Amino acid sequence: MADPKKPRAPFAPWDRRELPGIFTVEESARRVGNYKWIEMRLFEVLGGWVATVPELDVKLRLGTHCYHHAWHAELWHKRLPELREMNPDRLTAPANDQLVAFVDAMTEPEAPELTIEKLVGAYRVLIPHKIAAYTYHLNNTSTITDAPTIRSLKFILQDELDDWRDGEMLLQSLIDTPEEVDRAAAHQAKLEKLMLAAGGIAGPGTLGLGATSNGAAPDTQEAVR
Amino acid sequence: MRKSFPVEDLARDERFVRVPITARLSDGRQVPRPTAGQRRNGGRLTPDRPDSPDAARILMHGIFMGEVQALEGAGRTCWDFDVQNTARKKADADAADPATAGEPSTPEVPFELKLDMARQCWDEARHTEISVKLSEHMGTEIGEFAEATFLYEAACNPDPVLRLTGVNRALEGLAIDVFNTMREFGEVSGDPVLEFCEDWMLADEVTHVKMGSDWLRKLTEKDPERRERALEFQRVVDRLFSLGGFRGEEEDSPVRLARRFRELAGFDTTEIDELAEDAAAARRDVEAQIAQNREAATAQ
Repeated sequence: MADPKKPRAPFAPWDRRELPGIFTVEESARRVGNYKWIEMRLFEVLGGWVATVPELDVKLRLGTHCYHHAWHAELWHKRLPELREMNPDRLTAPANDQLVAFVDAMTEPEAPELTIEKLVGAYRVLIPHKIAAYTYHLNNTSTITDAPTIRSLKFILQDELDDWRDGEMLLQSLIDTPEEVDRAAAHQAKLEKLMLAAGGIAGPGTLGLGATSNGAAPDTQEAVR
Repeated sequence: MRKSFPVEDLARDERFVRVPITARLSDGRQVPRPTAGQRRNGGRLTPDRPDSPDAARILMHGIFMGEVQALEGAGRTCWDFDVQNTARKKADADAADPATAGEPSTPEVPFELKLDMARQCWDEARHTEISVKLSEHMGTEIGEFAEATFLYEAACNPDPVLRLTGVNRALEGLAIDVFNTMREFGEVSGDPVLEFCEDWMLADEVTHVKMGSDWLRKLTEKDPERRERALEFQRVVDRLFSLGGFRGEEEDSPVRLARRFRELAGFDTTEIDELAEDAAAARRDVEAQIAQNREAATAQ
């Protein structure tokens, strides 16, 4: 039986969490506001597309994934006040105008014969960019001070990866001809260029490269090193 | 993609065939079968009815189509309306004239309402999956029967309060009645798969109706006139979905009003009583119509 008087270290030998993280509270809140904005745009358009796609399996997946991204938006909405943003709507904003242009282009397809374009926008462009941004955040924030964000990121990333796989498999099953391969690739290239101009879902610096929206290099904003 | 998506553009594959409700109700062939007495719909669904397997399959296909349209309607509510504060900020930014600032062109809804609609999307997607599996279980298939689009039509109302009231209180309320009827049919006919699935879907529908009741109360708290308009729209939709006596409280009603589950979902006794009276009136109307059709058929 363990000796109740024997001192034990607060961190078990296998617990390698560390204090350092590269995000300040403010930078973390800014990013979370950007995340909430993009999750909202995604769940809205997936919901809107349900009525426009004739393929029953796609219709049902879009309906299911619509809720996943709404739930992500809700998680970020609830995280903002915990990051000292008491008015969550203030930071619920696109990273920049270029990201708005990306979303406008991604949400444009409506006709029933454009299911490939719809899925390419969501599953070959936006969701991979979200996975990248969330993974960057997960790997660079303080594992102790920012544990609540990490918990949300892990839940969300699980959904994103599952949904990306669903969407990619639907696309592969829909693309039957070389012409459709070209269509998918052309639409992907068009959207990727818009996303490139935006710098990612949180703007330049989404993945730690380039500048943040206020001009500062994100890697210089280390709270604790 | 447009805000507001018309019913005629709903995307379907080649298996689906649509019949407008007006065409269905005014169809002169709607005369009762000799075994059904005065009932157009053949009466309550019980296993001892000779046509009960077919009637159950028809009802299940109707449920499937209803679930598809409920999914589409909830999805459109996610897209068609802006979130309150976002819309306001955009309108302020867009307005050249400060006097028009803050007047968004797209109707606004609270963020939490959209979250509820997204949740409903997931639920309706699951219900569609369940309905497809149950249809196979019962021996029918997608497209065997025609699609009526009245559910989605109610989901096209441009006022979000009226849309929520028409869909979540009237239509999802009908779903409570239908699922309860099917659950009971599963029970008396010894079909545990049907009973099990309908019971799960019934739980979701009570949640959806409660969402409608809660949002109606919240959104019209300071606007009694709008609340009255919404309730009137609900009454119109409810009368339409009483479908000439299809739903009611009589022993032989094909679909029985599920009072207990409606109360759980936020309906008060007065509302349920009114619904029952409207259903009885609709039944009287259709019986008169049937008599007229029969006379016309005899005269020919």
